[in-house]
Amino acid sequence: MPVVGIPILDNLYPVSMDLWPVEAKEFNKVWPFYENLRQGRFTTTKCKDCGHIAFPPRGVICPACYSENLEYVDLPKKGKVVVLSEEVKGVPLGYESPLIHAVIEFDGPVKRMISKIVNCPVGALKRGDEVQFVVFDVPPMPIEKGKAGTITAERVFFAFEPVNK
Amino acid sequence: MSRNAVILGGGQCKWGIREAHIMDLFQEAGKVCLDDIPGLKPADIDGLIVATSYAGRCSFQVNTAPVVAERLGLKPTSICTRCDTLCAGGSTGIILAKGLVESGNADIVMVTGGEKLYTPQKWEIFYSELASVDHDWEATHGMGLPPPFFSLTAQEHMIHYGTKKEDLAAVSVANYNYAAENPVAQMQKRLTLEEAMSAPSVVPPLTLYDCCPITDGAAACIITTDEIAKKYTNRPLVYLRGCAQVSLSSLSVNFPGEHLADWKHMRVAAEKAYKRAKVSPSDVKVAQTHDCFTISEVIEVEELGFCKKGEGGAFCSSKQIEIGGKVPVNTDGGLLAVGHPFGATGIRQGVEIMKQLQGRARNQVKGADIGLTHNLSGANAEHTILIYGIEPVK
Repeated sequence: MPVVGIPILDNLYPVSMDLWPVEAKEFNKVWPFYENLRQGRFTTTKCKDCGHIAFPPRGVICPACYSENLEYVDLPKKGKVVVLSEEVKGVPLGYESPLIHAVIEFDGPVKRMISKIVNCPVGALKRGDEVQFVVFDVPPMPIEKGKAGTITAERVFFAFEPVNK
Repeated sequence: MSRNAVILGGGQCKWGIREAHIMDLFQEAGKVCLDDIPGLKPADIDGLIVATSYAGRCSFQVNTAPVVAERLGLKPTSICTRCDTLCAGGSTGIILAKGLVESGNADIVMVTGGEKLYTPQKWEIFYSELASVDHDWEATHGMGLPPPFFSLTAQEHMIHYGTKKEDLAAVSVANYNYAAENPVAQMQKRLTLEEAMSAPSVVPPLTLYDCCPITDGAAACIITTDEIAKKYTNRPLVYLRGCAQVSLSSLSVNFPGEHLADWKHMRVAAEKAYKRAKVSPSDVKVAQTHDCFTISEVIEVEELGFCKKGEGGAFCSSKQIEIGGKVPVNTDGGLLAVGHPFGATGIRQGVEIMKQLQGRARNQVKGADIGLTHNLSGANAEHTILIYGIEPVK
């Protein structure tokens, strides 16, 4: 279907309107993070020289010592909810209601992060509850590969969900 | 002789949902600014700093400064640049202009800021706000629009310090009432505590009046030196005494405080700015802080040292932020009521402090001689503070 008002964009992919990361190796040096997600692993980069673990993962250098000697290590896949927010109305385009976010506390090198909570109705989760890592598919994107033509790059992302008691 | 930066004059156009092009808004603000300084001609201005974050997305216009210069009839010979620090863009422009005029690399700099956020279809700005946080790691979690982040922040403040919803409502009441007769404010209506307490929910515990609106608008001011300013004005000079901009992390995962309501980066910015301005928190007579949400103002009065950490709720609900209180805050209505076109906000704040220190503000604080502005940017990624005074730092 043509793009309203801009028919020349019919069937084209504008990266400037894409809410998901460009995960492909050709465009992103943290591509192993996404490869690991595909295998159900929650990982980040650790510096082999100074030992610093950074999240999000870094594609090139350790932010503590600027070494380029990095490796991927696994992170805990379960954490506890510190606080959570539940947005029911006015959820932005691209997300489903309810849009739930939580500050999650981990027993690991990454102490706290805010994540989207999925597979969870309003009111089901509370402070202190356990949540677990979950991976889901997001829309693939096209990449032009010269004479090979256009390939379709599959993509995934992660969130957390309640642990069923 | 040392050159001391002053804010010579300025103003803003009408803010709100505007039926206008972004360049119309810059023209309106430029006119208000020059009308405030009789005798200053466009040809006298040798520098231009344009603060805008969304011109590139919502108006398809990067390298915005030369376009604005053209529309305003300016021919800058010292500096002509755009700056983007989202909500702190205007204040950042003022900081950069201070450095340029004090170092002698510019004489008279216009700092303007503006955004045209409402596009022909309204979904687009809500979607484009995904660009305002770390795109790959936070926008992906649906954190582009800030209410969820500040809901979490408010809950942490309530848990750690016992802050109540009434404390948040007191901030919206104070700021709406400051703006009730401000003709350029987006929201011009009086608000009662009952109305604020019974408003529709946005993201609990935040309700309608806890959140600033999305705003089209622009503002402009002139930064120059005290010696040059004397040629153009008989008003009291308002000096840019000190400033600081601090970013300790851009992501919630590396948030510098103990929890989301503990703003260590803002404390660092305040300490640096007070030291450079040679003043203490008790010297500040009026402040414009970044009330993007009511909870923000509650935490800001704490981190600025106007009250003890954890007592911001009581400080606000006991009317210490109103005229006659300890430190009147957001005396023109703040982001909550005047609105928040990101790049323009810091200029609006600087102009209000200038008017307060010159004794010509609508809600005048008697005897104001030291004033402060503050912005936070993004998902609490950065804090920017400027301190103004009627005397230079000695």
